[in-house]
Amino acid sequence: MTDGIDGGPVDERDPVDGHERTDGGEPVGAAHEAEGAADPGPASGRPHHPYDHPYDHRTTPISRTVTRIVVPIILVTAISLLLQGHNLPGGGFIGAVLTVTAFVLVYVMFGLAYLQEDVLGLSASPEEDHGLVSGYRWLFAAGLALAAAGGIVPILLGHPFLTQAVIFLEALPLYGELEVASALVFDLGVYFTVVGSLLTIVGEVGSE
Amino acid sequence: MQPTSEAVLGVVFLPFLAAALTPLIYRILGERTAYVAAGVALACLGLVTSLWLDGAHGVVAYEWIPSLGVSLSFYVDGLALLISFLASGVGVLILTYSRGYMHGEPAQPKYYAALLAFMGSMLGVALAGDLIALFVFWELTSLSSFVLIGHYSDEVASQYAARKSMLITVSGGLFMLVGFLLLVWMSGQALGEPTYSLTAMLAESEAIRAGLRETGLLVPVLLLVGLGAATKSAQVPFHVWLPNAMEAPTPVSAFLHSATMVKAGVYLVGRFRPLFLAENAPVFGEWTLLFAVLGLVTMTVAAVLAVGATDIKELLAYSTASHLGLIVAAFGLANEYGAEAGAFHILNHASFKAALFLVAGIVAHEAGTRKIDALGGLRNHLPITAVIATVASLSMAGFPPFNGFYSKELLFEATYEVAAHSGGLAWLLPIVAVLGSVFTFLYSIKFASLFFGDEPEGLDHVHRPPLVMLVPPAILGALVLAISAVPNLFIGALVGDVYASVLPGDAHSFAVHLPTSLTPYVLMSAITILVGAGLFPFYDRLHAAINAALRGPARANWWYDGAVEGATELGDWATPRVQTGHLRTYATWAMGATSVLALGGYLAAGVALPTFSGVGLSLAIVLVLLVAVISGFAVSRAPSHVAGVLTLSILGFMAAIFYILASAPDLALTQLVVETLVLVIFLLVLDQLPAFYGEIDRLRASRDALLSLVVGATVFVTVLVSTAANPDQALREFLSVRAGLPTEHGPVILDWGGGGNVVNVILVDFRAFDTLGEISVVAMAALAILTMVRMRTRGEMQ
Repeated sequence: MTDGIDGGPVDERDPVDGHERTDGGEPVGAAHEAEGAADPGPASGRPHHPYDHPYDHRTTPISRTVTRIVVPIILVTAISLLLQGHNLPGGGFIGAVLTVTAFVLVYVMFGLAYLQEDVLGLSASPEEDHGLVSGYRWLFAAGLALAAAGGIVPILLGHPFLTQAVIFLEALPLYGELEVASALVFDLGVYFTVVGSLLTIVGEVGSE
Repeated sequence: MQPTSEAVLGVVFLPFLAAALTPLIYRILGERTAYVAAGVALACLGLVTSLWLDGAHGVVAYEWIPSLGVSLSFYVDGLALLISFLASGVGVLILTYSRGYMHGEPAQPKYYAALLAFMGSMLGVALAGDLIALFVFWELTSLSSFVLIGHYSDEVASQYAARKSMLITVSGGLFMLVGFLLLVWMSGQALGEPTYSLTAMLAESEAIRAGLRETGLLVPVLLLVGLGAATKSAQVPFHVWLPNAMEAPTPVSAFLHSATMVKAGVYLVGRFRPLFLAENAPVFGEWTLLFAVLGLVTMTVAAVLAVGATDIKELLAYSTASHLGLIVAAFGLANEYGAEAGAFHILNHASFKAALFLVAGIVAHEAGTRKIDALGGLRNHLPITAVIATVASLSMAGFPPFNGFYSKELLFEATYEVAAHSGGLAWLLPIVAVLGSVFTFLYSIKFASLFFGDEPEGLDHVHRPPLVMLVPPAILGALVLAISAVPNLFIGALVGDVYASVLPGDAHSFAVHLPTSLTPYVLMSAITILVGAGLFPFYDRLHAAINAALRGPARANWWYDGAVEGATELGDWATPRVQTGHLRTYATWAMGATSVLALGGYLAAGVALPTFSGVGLSLAIVLVLLVAVISGFAVSRAPSHVAGVLTLSILGFMAAIFYILASAPDLALTQLVVETLVLVIFLLVLDQLPAFYGEIDRLRASRDALLSLVVGATVFVTVLVSTAANPDQALREFLSVRAGLPTEHGPVILDWGGGGNVVNVILVDFRAFDTLGEISVVAMAALAILTMVRMRTRGEMQ
């Protein structure tokens, strides 16, 4: 969050990254560099300003700053919704959709390539239109597998498919007694499936 | 004695296991996979033999879908054992023969895997003691047959033949399933508890029959089950798929399309015979009218078509349909001779017809042609094959003292008894039977004559078949001779039990003898042979006359092709109207169809709207809903896309607020986040749309308005109807209590949800299976979009 406010590390890294790619002949980096240079907007003439990201042409500094602040909050809220779902409003699906909202906000504000190349440091090959999507694909496959596994384990223990248990862990440090519902595993499966699926859709549609 | 469950399970599932392993085995052994497959068939044969030696009779059942009363049960009796013997025994010979025939052919792993899977399915059909299990194995035989007929998958004729057999046999199977379900329903009415078990139904056949007759369902059920049998056993007019199925490699034709799969329909008729046919049934009941007529018509028509055939495999295919007609007719007749004829002819037909198909395979393989005109004098090149062909053909012709004679004689006896008993029109039965047999005699002799007489031009390069191709038909030929020599030994050992299986009530075995005195049926046989011999010199003229008469609607194929082309044209006509590529058209059709179906369903079910009991809403809710309605109207007046989407989201957020006011926090949360996400995605997509579409004309506007009214009305009625029915109070209490925690509990509890949020506990615990289905749908939607968007540019067209 502090990174987001002063914009420091992330933005300072940008031009360096860009140069590295140009040197290495990476077509994507080069293309973006060229794009940034050709941009007649406020970016021209001040190439090293903290908020002059080469990927955005339409968003304002205000909305980008707000996004930087808000996205971590959304993510934390989403995870808390996921975890508290068993006892309070929330659950895997709601948490997942909220998480996706955070990602979509980043996409809208900073463009598709930002998350992938500048935050995660992945390089996108020009043929695979959007490299992160393959990661999302794995995510929903893993989510489905997790949910199904949560159903199969009870069979191995001699109970019907998808039987859920509540387990009480005694004498834990800090918590004392902790109630753990095995349904949380299933809920996590739901969460990953929905996040993976929706992000795949958003990524695919967005990259069009 | 009770059958051993290991043996029964081994018989049915060993072939499937081997089929799964076939690609692996082929990688190691190459073409010698044939011997492994034959070994598997031999193991099945051994298991069947052990069951037979034990005198096994009874049911082996396993739980399958206990909540529906469906079990995986196997019923071992005479009929089941005979069919199993045929499937595994002929299977050994065919798989061995394939080693020679398929030498150097493509896609052998697929071939052997499909053959083995077929054998397992056929054994499953024979042994199934449960209607659902029977249906599943039944359709599995159709599927494996599809793969095998389409073996040369690049050839148009193979594709056509495979599709044809699939369409006809699978759709017939579906009709059969409907018949089965009616039977199950009836068993619930008649026996107090619905059962899928064949044995339970057979044990209470009297009650079920009475119930069916009372409700008027007897004829529909007979027709439905009969459709399944008729399509599978290639009865007229569904015989059209069988000649085309000869596109398959010849071993497949010999195995599936003569000895086993087509016997499934006959098996079904025999299996249900004691259920539908009372012990003291009238001579002309519904059963007899349906199956005796169907069988005799098929027997005659197919025999005539066989005379019209120009290809040896086509001749054998029509002949197979004809002989299956004979068995169906025999089972259809309500007397003991009929049951005897059917039971005995199953064995006889398998023995001579499989031998003849393998002979045809040798001829095609070694002479390089299957055209009847181009063949002749093969005796000089294929002496052993000629002997086998002669023996088998004479048996097929019903020539004494070969085994085919005995079963045909029994059919004559059965038809004569019926005619003598009823008189009048019933005399048509023996007459048609003789007529069909005359043509059978003709084509049988024609087939045998290919090995005699002069050699036509261009047949000088015929070489001897390899031993693996010669031994299997020789064994079958020897079997024909053995049955002919000591028919009563085979009847006592095997066929007698089949007879008992297809006869209502208690039955004993029977015996056949060569005739010693001149009975009417001996006379019928004599007429058959004499007329046949008299007509044989005119075979070519008959052949030409039949082919000349087969034009236009006289051919069953004309109807089949017409129906398929009509369906294709209908599809071609409808597709550009339903799927225009415009989202609005898709939406119109999807929503319109849904509304019409839902409203029609309410009307058909006579659902009454609940009475209006006043508005019990707080002022806040009314205000929220009012804003929502206003924004709904505002959407249609929105000047731009962005304005429209934003206005629409007002509606969505109002719905969320409504949920909050109605104390449904989970729903409200979901609605809020989904609304937000949808809004963002909309805004992303809007970027790509044109800002203005142009004026819409009045007609389209009013059509859209009408559609939205209908959709709105549907949703309104659905909400009213579905909320009028309150869930059971007990259910509500169970859910709200069990979602939480009991006051006293141990470290691990299974019966309680242990959560404060009932909604979520229901989602992830009580109804987790539903949720699993839903997230699968979400994942599938993502996959669909991935494939559509990502792969549209590199599809198969490139």
